[in-house]
Amino acid sequence: MRIYNPSFGLSATSKEKIELKPVNWKTDAIALVSNSKPNARELLWGIRDKLSAHRQVENIKFLAKNSASQPAPKELLQDIAQNYRAALLALGD
Amino acid sequence: MKDIADQEVIDLEDMDIEAFNEFAAEQGWSDGMPLYVPTESKVAKFVETVRGDNRPYPPVPPRQVIPTIQALAANAVMAGCKPEYFPVVTTALRGVLDPDYNLHGTLATTHSCAPMVMVSGPIRHEIGINCGSNCFGQGWQANATIGRALGLMLLNVAGAKPGEMDRSTQGNPAKYTFCFGENEEENPWTPYHVQRGFAPTDSVVTVMSGEGPHNLNDHGSTTGSGLLTTFAGGMSNPGANTVYGKGPMFVIIGPEHAATLKRDGFTIDTIREELWKRSRVHLSRISPENLDTYATTGHKPDGDWLSIGRSPEDIHITVAGGPGKHSAFIPSFGGTTVASVRIAR
Amino acid sequence: MIATETFKPLVLAQAKARKIEPRLIVVKHPVGGLNAEELRERIEAATKGLTEATKT
Repeated sequence: MRIYNPSFGLSATSKEKIELKPVNWKTDAIALVSNSKPNARELLWGIRDKLSAHRQVENIKFLAKNSASQPAPKELLQDIAQNYRAALLALGD
Repeated sequence: MKDIADQEVIDLEDMDIEAFNEFAAEQGWSDGMPLYVPTESKVAKFVETVRGDNRPYPPVPPRQVIPTIQALAANAVMAGCKPEYFPVVTTALRGVLDPDYNLHGTLATTHSCAPMVMVSGPIRHEIGINCGSNCFGQGWQANATIGRALGLMLLNVAGAKPGEMDRSTQGNPAKYTFCFGENEEENPWTPYHVQRGFAPTDSVVTVMSGEGPHNLNDHGSTTGSGLLTTFAGGMSNPGANTVYGKGPMFVIIGPEHAATLKRDGFTIDTIREELWKRSRVHLSRISPENLDTYATTGHKPDGDWLSIGRSPEDIHITVAGGPGKHSAFIPSFGGTTVASVRIAR
Repeated sequence: MIATETFKPLVLAQAKARKIEPRLIVVKHPVGGLNAEELRERIEAATKGLTEATKT
C-alpha cells in the first residue's frame, strides 16, 4: 500500500550549515544573554565574576529577553550582532 | 535510497491496522492512541475539501518545514477525521501559525499548554461539533478528532516530540484533543466571532494556547454580581501563567450563568471590567522571589495587588455548554495571543 | 550556549532545524529554583566548561 508521510515537509532553511566566526575569548566583547528564566541572570553574572580573574570584563555586558516565554525582540538580536563578537546564552530552566 | 522522513509518499507492504500502528509508532508519528492509515485515496478525499484555500503555509516552527497539504491531510486521516472536518483543522493550523501565537514557545515550553480550538458559525452544525452539554468532553467525533488532528500536525510537522522539542513538565490531557463549539444559540450577547469583527454567517476557528478548562462552580449565587465574585475567585490564581500579566485568557460561561448575568444587566464589557478588578492577586499570595522575577520582566504590582493579564481586554468571554450551574476559566500560556481565522470556503 | 543536561536534546533538535552546530556547555539540571549556594556549583561548572571550550 502507498501512504502519505504525515511528517513530510520542505525545508525552509538553507542547505548550508551556518559557520561560526572565530572569537578571541580573552579580549573580544561578549554579550551575556539571559532567557529571563529564574537564576539565568545569576548564573551569567557568576560566570562574569569568575572570568574577571583571567580577562577584562568591562566589555562583557548583560542582556536579557523581556519575557522568558517569547522570542528575543529583533532590536536585541541586532544589538548583539552589531556590538559583540560572541554571545553566551543561558537557557536556565 | 531516501530516508523515510524525506519521502512524501511511502510504499509499504500490505499490513493490517495493528501492524500499521506499530510502524507509525516506530516512526514517532503517534500520540499513543490508535491511528487510521493515511492511504493515497483517503488523503485525496481530504485534499478535495480545501481546494478553495490556496494560500501557502509558512514554515512551521520549531522544525521550520513548509508542509504540503497532503502531509497535513495524512495527519487528519490518522486522527480519525471525516473529510469535511479538514477545513476546520487547516484553519486551526493557520491560527497557531500567527506569529503572535508564538508556536515555537508554546510547543517547547515546560508549561502544560495545549492548543485550544473553538469553532464559531454555521459550520458547527454542518459537521456536528458539540457546543452544548459536555462540550469539552468525550462523545463527539468532530470535537475529538479535529483537536487530535491539530495535535498530530504539531507532533509530526512542527516536530513537537514529547521529551525532545516538547518539554512540558507534566503535559495536560487537553494535548490529546481540545476542541469545542460556541453555544451561540444560548449566548444572550454577541457570538465570539462577531465580537472579533466577523460576520454572523462566517465560520471561524479561534485558537489559544491554554491550560485545560478550570471549572467555576456556582449553584448558590442568585445574582450576576455573585457569580462574578465566584468567577474572579477562580481566576485569581498565583500558579497560572496569567499572573505574569502578559497574556490572554478565556472565561467560557455556561448558558444558565449567562442568563443570570444578562438578566442583571451585565454586558461582555462590564463582565470583563468586573473580572479584571476582582481577580487581582494579593501580594500575600506571591513569594518574594517570584515578585522579584515579575518586576525584572516589567510586571509590577499596583499597590498590594497584581493584575492578571494586561487589561480587561485580555479576558475573552463567550458561552458554551449545556444545562447546569458551571462555567470555565481557561488561562493561557501567557506569551501568546488569541488568533481567530475565517474558514475559506 | 549554556543548557542543563535535561534540555540538551531540545537545544540540539532546534539547532539541527536551523542547521547550526552550537558550542554547548552542559551543566546539571536544574538551574531555576536553586539557592545561592546550590547555584555556585553550576557557575563553577559553566565557567570550567566555557574555559575549556574556548581554549585556543
